[in-house]
Amino acid sequence: MAEEVKITQSDLYAARIFLHAAVPLLKVICESEPKYGDKFKGKSFVFQVSALYADAPGGKLATHFSVEDGVWTTHAGVTHDAPTVEFLFPNLKKLIIFFSGKGMPLPKIKGLSKLGVFVPILLALLRMAGLMQAKDKPEKLEDQIMLCKLYLYLLPNGISQLNKMGHPDVTVVTKTSPDRAYALAIDGYPELQSWIRVKAGKSMSGRGEYKRCKPFLTMKFASPSLALDILMSKADMVDYMGSGKLVVDGAPEFGGTVGGLMFKVAYYAQGTYLDAEK
Amino acid sequence: MALTKQEWVGLEKQAYALRDLCLDTINWAGSGHWGGSSSVADILTLLYYKYAKFDPKNYEDPNRDRVIVSKGHVGVILAPLFALLGLVKKEDLKTFNLTGSKLGIHLDSNKVHGLDASTGSLGHGSSIALGMALAAPLQGRKYKTFLVLGDGECDEGSVWEAAMATSHFKNRGSLDLITIVDRNHNMIDGNTEDVMALEPFEDKWKAFGFETITVNGHDLPALAEALEKAVAGGPKPFCIIADTIKGVGVSFSSGNYKWHYGAFDEAKYTTAKKDLKEYSEQRIAKAEKEGK
Amino acid sequence: MAGGITFTAVESTKLATAEIFGKTIAELGAKDKSIVCLSPDLATSTKMIDFFTKYPERFYNVGIAEQNMIGIAAGMAKSGLTVFASCFSVFASLRALDQVHTDICYQNVNVKLIGTHGGTSFGQAGSTHHAIEDIGVIRPLVNMTVIVPADGLETANAVKAAAATPGPFYIRINRGFDNVVYSTSDYGFEVGKAVTMRDGTDITIIACGSCVYQALQAASILDFDYKLKARVINMHTIKPIDRDAVLKAVAETRKIITVEDHTVIGGLGSAVAEVIVEGGKACLLKKLGIPDKWSPIGLHEDLMANHEIDAQGIVKNVLEIMKQDVEKDENWGDEV
Repeated sequence: MAEEVKITQSDLYAARIFLHAAVPLLKVICESEPKYGDKFKGKSFVFQVSALYADAPGGKLATHFSVEDGVWTTHAGVTHDAPTVEFLFPNLKKLIIFFSGKGMPLPKIKGLSKLGVFVPILLALLRMAGLMQAKDKPEKLEDQIMLCKLYLYLLPNGISQLNKMGHPDVTVVTKTSPDRAYALAIDGYPELQSWIRVKAGKSMSGRGEYKRCKPFLTMKFASPSLALDILMSKADMVDYMGSGKLVVDGAPEFGGTVGGLMFKVAYYAQGTYLDAEK
Repeated sequence: MALTKQEWVGLEKQAYALRDLCLDTINWAGSGHWGGSSSVADILTLLYYKYAKFDPKNYEDPNRDRVIVSKGHVGVILAPLFALLGLVKKEDLKTFNLTGSKLGIHLDSNKVHGLDASTGSLGHGSSIALGMALAAPLQGRKYKTFLVLGDGECDEGSVWEAAMATSHFKNRGSLDLITIVDRNHNMIDGNTEDVMALEPFEDKWKAFGFETITVNGHDLPALAEALEKAVAGGPKPFCIIADTIKGVGVSFSSGNYKWHYGAFDEAKYTTAKKDLKEYSEQRIAKAEKEGK
Repeated sequence: MAGGITFTAVESTKLATAEIFGKTIAELGAKDKSIVCLSPDLATSTKMIDFFTKYPERFYNVGIAEQNMIGIAAGMAKSGLTVFASCFSVFASLRALDQVHTDICYQNVNVKLIGTHGGTSFGQAGSTHHAIEDIGVIRPLVNMTVIVPADGLETANAVKAAAATPGPFYIRINRGFDNVVYSTSDYGFEVGKAVTMRDGTDITIIACGSCVYQALQAASILDFDYKLKARVINMHTIKPIDRDAVLKAVAETRKIITVEDHTVIGGLGSAVAEVIVEGGKACLLKKLGIPDKWSPIGLHEDLMANHEIDAQGIVKNVLEIMKQDVEKDENWGDEV
């Protein structure tokens, strides 16, 4: 039975970010790190993360992955009727608390007995949480790179989700925008790039280099470590721009706008809003 | 007499060789501007073999005399002329008008060594020749520029723009430009006087400030005498009106405007070669008889 | 910059573009005795008078006979001289076109044709004296380089480059004063290399001649009032056109607007369009210029406004084009 919890508009924004942008990063972990990905070799199954929500069609919101012979496909925001393994939260708030690291409200776990699948999923989830929920940046470069990749993939997607949800702080930017792309990049790491394209209220996000045209602006960090300082709110963006640790290529006066949108995503993804809106 | 007997006979033979090779070239090319080529042949012979200081072995010499043949459609006699001068391979004449050939109806001065201008758009040669003549004193050179005009192209206004300017600039520096009009009386559509009357032609040149001489353009000593006078120079620019016959030397084309341009079949080619031989031999005989 | 043009940008604001041409050619003439100038009764209008005063023996006024002038120029050049022939653009390109085609371009001789009173810059004179087709008419001629300088200093650069480069050139300048685009002549002028005056990725404005200044003004307004970032390219050489600059603009901005004081058929816009289409990448192109009709009579500035090739006209058209799609994007999904 679903607990009686009041779901706010902010919860809906946060849930959307988690289900559409954050949870999908599990696939990125498995594809980027053989230590986690290799454990799925030869296996086929469906893994789903979901939370009950009465107003949703079918009564729940979910994202699932279908894995075929070890190859992952993400179905963001799509509910699967019979997943092999499922983490089902009794409400959206608990899903948010769990994934933001604000607490450990355990979900109802389906498929616990399928250890060959369940254990590797749990390990990959722990790896993701270990990276993303840490207060300080990791010391090892390879961990820094991985965490940068997760952030870079999360943020434009998160902005796009908020836009699609009609978040006023985001749509105020996108609605009047001509066709523009904003990109994130880390100098010397071509794989560490992502972007969001907006046009007259529409948005889409992607990974890697933006190929359609030159982005309107690219926020280029000098190194993964310096990128994490900003992404984890350990340093001031303006200072870093002043010292060349962050270069805004394109229209620099729009750097603040993009930064604001990024922090808006973090506001939900880090669960900050839960305290702020108590 | 402007020509010695030896010169006269030699030039008659050159003129014959030139017209004869022109007939061959038209035959190889399939067709050609025979009428105006034959009428201008004697003028070209006198210029290139006597009056223009031009050494084919040193064809780029900046001090050479210039010859601008403004009636550029007579490439079919200029190419044989340059072949006889050793500047075009005789074998290349057989490719005349053929795809990929460096030789065609209007010759390209960037492809034919020694040819001073690419003409073909009628009425252009006068200004180009004037420009070349004006350039000589600016560079401290003393070369002459000979301009050969067709009579039909004198319908073009630009001929008269240049004529006016030639008179105007005559005494600035030392303009050494000699104009020779191949007055063969015919153009594509008929007699010049029917299509667009040029007469009083000589008066027009006079009115434009020229010293004029009208002379039989197929009488080499007479033409030579006129050129001697022009080369000697004077206060006014010279214009020699060479009275010629279009298609001269061949019975069926002589004086016939329809032979402005045409193709020979086997019979016509044979007749043309035979007629030209007869015509030229008569002229050579006359030179040998009357020359001094 | 090599060549020692002795007047400064400050002075250039006081000089009509043709006067700067006149001074430049006079200075070049001092160093190079092979330079000759020709004019068809326009020595005063085309400002060749400085050269005439200093080197009367190397100056020829041919009277009102443009065809003759071009033929003479070709003959002189064939004889080894570097010839600057100047007349109104409309007559250089149309009255004397056959001579330009055959005598200059076919023979590939060293004649520098200076077309003055370009575009609608002699606005009050009406369409008999507007040169709105000259670029389109001259651009296809083999061997011809076509330059439309943006202001006086660029004109000086173009004239110097033309003098130093063998072969036919057509340089189109305006009547009267041009707004100053360059404060120095040392900005790296190179024939065939466009100058990026201002960077941006929302749209690229490619302009030539008097429209470069207008494009820069428009870009400022677009930035200030609409927060739009327009790239501005001064395409001073129309032929050979800077293909790389156009293709880069296509790839990086996907929207291009061309601005020229010329009919929209055959000029800068058409040259840019040719490159875009051959590049094979979709791009939205709007050609601003004089539409396919005769211009009214009037002041140059008013005519530019009328044809929407002034700053306000460019702004208006940019705002319109920004609403158009390069391609329909039905899929606005996020990559996961």
